[in-house]
Amino acid sequence: MSPPSSSRSIALLVVVGLTLVLWPAGGWHTQLVCRVLGFAFLYATVTVAWNLVALSGLISLGHAAYFGLGAYAAALLDRHVGAQAPVTLAAAGLCAAAYGLVVAVAFQRLRAASYALATLASVEIPKVIADNWNSFTLGSLGLVGTRPLPAFSVAGMELDLAHNITAQYYGLMALLALACILHALAIHSRWGWALRAVREDERAAAVLGVNVFATRLGATVLSAALTGLCGGLYAHLMGMTEPALVFNLHISAMPLVFAMLGGRFRWYGPVLGALVLYGADQLFLHPWLPAGHAAIYGLVIMVMLLFLPKGLGS
Amino acid sequence: MWLQLLINTISLGSFYTLVALGFSIIFGVTHTFNLAHGELIVLSGYLAYGLTRFWETPFAFTLPLCMLAMTCLALGLLALFRRLREPYELSSLVFAFGLALVIQNLMLFFFTADYRRIPTSGPPIRLVAHTLITRNQLWLIGLSITATVCVSLMLRKTFLGKALRAVIQERETARLAGIRVEHMNRIAFAVGGALIGLAGPLLGQSAYLHPSGGMEATLIAVVITLFAGAGRIRGLLMGAWLLALLESGTTLWLGSNWRELVSAGILIALLIWKPEGLLARKKSAAEL
Repeated sequence: MSPPSSSRSIALLVVVGLTLVLWPAGGWHTQLVCRVLGFAFLYATVTVAWNLVALSGLISLGHAAYFGLGAYAAALLDRHVGAQAPVTLAAAGLCAAAYGLVVAVAFQRLRAASYALATLASVEIPKVIADNWNSFTLGSLGLVGTRPLPAFSVAGMELDLAHNITAQYYGLMALLALACILHALAIHSRWGWALRAVREDERAAAVLGVNVFATRLGATVLSAALTGLCGGLYAHLMGMTEPALVFNLHISAMPLVFAMLGGRFRWYGPVLGALVLYGADQLFLHPWLPAGHAAIYGLVIMVMLLFLPKGLGS
Repeated sequence: MWLQLLINTISLGSFYTLVALGFSIIFGVTHTFNLAHGELIVLSGYLAYGLTRFWETPFAFTLPLCMLAMTCLALGLLALFRRLREPYELSSLVFAFGLALVIQNLMLFFFTADYRRIPTSGPPIRLVAHTLITRNQLWLIGLSITATVCVSLMLRKTFLGKALRAVIQERETARLAGIRVEHMNRIAFAVGGALIGLAGPLLGQSAYLHPSGGMEATLIAVVITLFAGAGRIRGLLMGAWLLALLESGTTLWLGSNWRELVSAGILIALLIWKPEGLLARKKSAAEL
């Protein structure tokens, strides 16, 4: 990338970042936009997590499994044990990470279409269990009344994550910022180079001393943990967890769409895709077309694949 | 009870054969991983539902109409699929995933999320004492077997079938032998589309239609194709009946909700067992 375009894109990023930070101070439909963008931050984090696996060369169609497991772990702990939010969120991440470990080990020999297919099927298992274990998960009715996130004070500032949408907005933005740092590391660090080597040519990477299996395993488990954490946050933010909602095909599709739209090989790409598309979808398309607005996600996938010069590789 | 289980298995298995046959022909000939297969079947089912509901078309007439419509749609989709880039298998899978989302949401928009069912054509027939066979099941068994036999005869006895099998086995060699592979792609999509069109109304008559019901059918088609290999009709029949038996058994002993787990579990097991997926095949022509 040449210096002028680089400095221009940095300037653009600064403008976008500042707009987002200052938006709650007074913008157009502040509360609504903050609510929507807050969830856009959440899904952007899922997209970053998804891209960790994609950077190692595997397209996953099953991130809804991690998301749903995280949501269920948090909601179940909250309901049956009454645990506090930090505990439930940690459990959400751990649960999803455990499933990610199983997926990484079980599917270690699968590539490309086989991997995509296997991950797609891997969503069904936790979904059907959550759907049918009536005594524990309340089946398809789902868990309602999960307590919201707690309020706490940082440096003398009261941060009420339970009811204040602006506080939630900044909280989710902080989470996304952390995810972005992780994403930048996954692209630019030594570990990132290992991921890239594994993606481009496994055998050559192995010859150069990269442990292919361990690299993929690490990426998958980290990705699953982050996605599970987002699932847990979702359970607390929405207050309800249903199998049809958290194990939905759209949760699996979203990161793919956002990452493809924003560009998978820049640290800000997935975030850009999520903010633009999720924002446009929820703020403009949803009010106009309540049923079937999500067709836009499928449409974006199709158009991107048809018209991008490198297709999936770009 | 055992006889009832057998009848249910046969009717379900015949239907699964029909579902898998379309997928495996399209996949075998063109290597297109049509993840929207189930969604197209549900779409065809809704088409038949609309025809019977609003124009009071008799059920038998909806079948050719749906087959024609789905054939045209499949040929249109082929034109889009041909524009995809390498790696084709994965690209087409992701593309079809997007297509599935679009179709789902269109159906949600036009038909809402209510469960729909095409009205049945008559009371069930009593075979012996406690064993019933519904008219839907008769339709299902009869038409599925007919379609399977037709495709089988076409593949085995005609010159066109020979060309198609050659393309399934080895694309490049078939091209060298003077087979017009692009032409075969169109024929595979047309046949696959017709089979999808046939499966839709049958699905709508014997089960409930729901916009998000397609993925299950897709998984079933993939499982059976993975089990049998593309275009091997006897293998498809066996796989379909085996899967139907497992699902009927699970429904009987564990309840219908756990049924969905069967195909997903088998799919994962098959993929772990055969990690190269569907494309790794070295078979002689006699097996087809």
